[in-house]
Amino acid sequence: MKRKVLLALSAILLGGMLLTGCGKSNEIELFSSKAENKEILQQLVDEFNAEHPETKIVISAPADAGTVLKTRLAKNDIPDILALGGDNNYTEVQSAGVLEDLSAENFTSQVQESYLQMVYDVNADKEQAAYGIPYATNASGVLYNVDKFNELGLTIPTTWDEFLDVIKKIEAAGEQPFVLTYKDNWTGLCAWNSMAPDLQPEGFTDARQAGTTTFAETHQEIADKYLEIISHGQEDFMGTTYDDGNKAFANGQGVMMINGNWAINQFKTANADFNVDMFAFPASNDSAENYVTSGVDVLFAASKDSKNLDVAKEFISFMLEEENAKTYIDNQFAFSAVKGVEQEETTVAGVKSDIAAGKVANFPDHYYPAGFDLASLLSEYSLNYVNGMDNIENQKSFLANCDEKYDIANVD
Amino acid sequence: MKKKKQKVNVLYYVVVGAMALLFFNFHTVSFLKGIFYSFTDWKGYGDWNYVGLRNYLHMFEDVDTKNAYLFTFQFTVITTVLVNMISLILACALNAKIKFKNTIKAFYFLPYMLGNVIVGFIFNYIFANLIPTLGKACGIQILSTNILGTNHAMWGIIVVTVWTACAFNTLIYIAGLQAIDIDVYEAADLDGASGWKRFRYITFPLLAPSFTINMVLTAKGFLMVYDQIMAMTEGGPGTTTTSIAVLIYKKGFGGGQFAYQSANAVTLFVIVVAISIFQLRILEKREEQIR
Amino acid sequence: MKRVKNIQREKYNMPITIMLIAGIVITILLPLYMSVMIAIKVPTDMNNVLALPKQLRLMNFVDAWKMTEYPRKFFNTAFITVINLGITLISNSFVAYAITRNRKKSKFFEIMYYYFLSAMFIPFSVIMLPLVVQANTFHLDNVVGITFLYVIFGLPMNTFLYCGAVKGIPEALDEAAMIDGARPLQTFWYVIFPVLKPTTATVAILSFMWTWNDFTMPLVLLSEQSQQTLQLAQYVFKKQFSIDYNLAFASYLLVLLPVLVVYVFCQKWITNGVVAGAVK
Repeated sequence: MKRKVLLALSAILLGGMLLTGCGKSNEIELFSSKAENKEILQQLVDEFNAEHPETKIVISAPADAGTVLKTRLAKNDIPDILALGGDNNYTEVQSAGVLEDLSAENFTSQVQESYLQMVYDVNADKEQAAYGIPYATNASGVLYNVDKFNELGLTIPTTWDEFLDVIKKIEAAGEQPFVLTYKDNWTGLCAWNSMAPDLQPEGFTDARQAGTTTFAETHQEIADKYLEIISHGQEDFMGTTYDDGNKAFANGQGVMMINGNWAINQFKTANADFNVDMFAFPASNDSAENYVTSGVDVLFAASKDSKNLDVAKEFISFMLEEENAKTYIDNQFAFSAVKGVEQEETTVAGVKSDIAAGKVANFPDHYYPAGFDLASLLSEYSLNYVNGMDNIENQKSFLANCDEKYDIANVD
Repeated sequence: MKKKKQKVNVLYYVVVGAMALLFFNFHTVSFLKGIFYSFTDWKGYGDWNYVGLRNYLHMFEDVDTKNAYLFTFQFTVITTVLVNMISLILACALNAKIKFKNTIKAFYFLPYMLGNVIVGFIFNYIFANLIPTLGKACGIQILSTNILGTNHAMWGIIVVTVWTACAFNTLIYIAGLQAIDIDVYEAADLDGASGWKRFRYITFPLLAPSFTINMVLTAKGFLMVYDQIMAMTEGGPGTTTTSIAVLIYKKGFGGGQFAYQSANAVTLFVIVVAISIFQLRILEKREEQIR
Repeated sequence: MKRVKNIQREKYNMPITIMLIAGIVITILLPLYMSVMIAIKVPTDMNNVLALPKQLRLMNFVDAWKMTEYPRKFFNTAFITVINLGITLISNSFVAYAITRNRKKSKFFEIMYYYFLSAMFIPFSVIMLPLVVQANTFHLDNVVGITFLYVIFGLPMNTFLYCGAVKGIPEALDEAAMIDGARPLQTFWYVIFPVLKPTTATVAILSFMWTWNDFTMPLVLLSEQSQQTLQLAQYVFKKQFSIDYNLAFASYLLVLLPVLVVYVFCQKWITNGVVAGAVK
């Protein structure tokens, strides 16, 4: 009897080893740091897999992907293909020297130069080499409920004063200007990212890195306007999650949201008839300074030590095919980095011309060091505001904190 | 003299030695490596240098670390007290002559079986949606916001932790109560002691051993609080609910502070050992005094 | 015996009984009831989550099953739990037996005893960072590897529990067996292990609860989706459930279900085991 139990146990053990051992050999992992595009990515991957029956690409898109990715770096367990944002997560991986240089590949020439440059900018030491191929780009700004804007007779603001005026009118009509979703603290970054490029001094990123300037000296106006914005958020905006907020907004709560094109997909899921558009956040009173914040939302990279490097390259090339690039951006309401692929959706029409005209600024936080957790600082800043802390005191400690944490992250 | 002669079968050496070797390789070596990393500036990958005590000295200046320790201690003290109070009350109630005793007991033990992450998710929904809806309907201001988005977020985590932790402690208190001789109570009845007095002077002193166990076990567990926070707030809003364990994970891997958080982990270890020893000493003494 | 019971029946304390039942309903049944209600509703029927569904939707469970690849995750979790249980019970009890019986005879075992015991002071978060590096060196970042680690990391606690129990078994028992010509393994397996049953039950329950519900170790070690456990999968899919709470709760319930089933059938055994483990 007992021998049988032992036998059964060892059989299961062996079986498990085989099961976990197999499966792996021809599976290629595509690590994605975005959850919003899982479905469309899966659809395209399925197509690719159908054409390549000898291998199978498997997507993994974990929550808190940045941390997971770095955990895997520590384990030296690099996914075969990576789909990352053009941000400091990419920088971390790239600077670890585990990515293949794709500059010489044919498909690299299909991509718009300006976006390649954005990727170069976040390479370690700004190396001019394509370790990542930009694929889709995003736009961050103000999302607004078109029907309500029309109903209230509002026009799209192009300066900060006009923006305040719009907010006033909305409040006078008894509506809530903004739906904010600060329970997920990354959403607090959106307003910051939209304002900082318009208002921070030229060359701030480099100067701050060199330590010749500080947040406290240069970011007061941004911090001021940040408080102004959250003072028009809904009650309990600190407790509202991104998912709940998107759903509520799509169903008619509030008039504006400060977020990016990536949220539109969720609005449409919650309410297919929702009429939404976007405009550039008018942070400055000089409308020429009000850029659309746009960055590389998805770039593809390949692990240089992957056994399946060839397939990985083939996959990237497949994704860059015009038809597939179009399918992707249509689903995501995003913009393509592939030459000649254009976004025609009306939901982002308000920022399309700016993007086409190149009136864009990259996300400032893509240039901050990886350990600098601005989202938490902004969340704390907002929390203090909600708790009724004196604004001047709050702002002072917030900016001082920014500098302190930046320095810590910059060194380590 | 006689002891020397007794031969120990080689098999014992082999099995215990092998297990100890494996344990050493994965547990102890990891621990020692952690200490080693804490003196470097390694990010978890890439190049590294020795930095001496820099990481440790840095801990004293770092607000994040300070806040994490403050939060964790506050959380541990409040939760330990609450859990033990509620468990004790529950145990006394469950030990009374009640109907459906076993079924009721079985229900109260149920939360212990459920994983912290899922419980966290369920309560997340309750805090974010159910309670605010009810609060608004009843016009109660405090209840109409999501507590996890305020600086009382800690209390949300406490509620969930108490919810899951009480089950275990209640059981131990019940076991302690059942070990008390009924004669003692009869004697007390004759002396006219009842209610609170009976509890204070008879039941509680006799429960002292269970109380010791519970305090030590629960406090140590709560110092490591992790799952619930990851499921509910991920340390936010701001850093108000970042516990030490969450900080080590988030900053150690995600924030590129592998070496620095290793130093933090070593410090945590020293503190846990100190607290455990201190706690045992104090509680043992009290137990003796009460007796 | 019967007489005593009759007397008790007359003196039921009804106020306390009612309060306790009310407590169950509010604190334990209500959250579970809510979870079930959400899991069987359609997204448009969420205005009052506590109300019965207007339209029953069991497809949520099917969708969640497919989306999270439930069978795979269930297999992983069950594999870890069952294999860990088997190996832990046999190996750890034997180690404890070897240590306890030989502590007085050889310094080696005395040292081992304190070595394992002192390791209990090291919380998991302390070794979390270096463990990831160490585990990777030995390619333990998969289901089989993590099972192995559970066996090893459970040693201190289990040795502690088992040592206490072995101490309580008179040595005359093994001596008698040895005189009959039994080898150490035979003595252990046929004489000692059966006597250790109550402790084995305790260790089994604690190991089961630990491995089935653990989140931290899978989170840092099991990155590949095919290797993930049920608990970890819920966290990983948190973002993808997004606004579809119905799907999310269906998925949570699917994870809770196996534990609930085990609990319903082994409730007595579990509660007794847990108490025995703690009181020692």
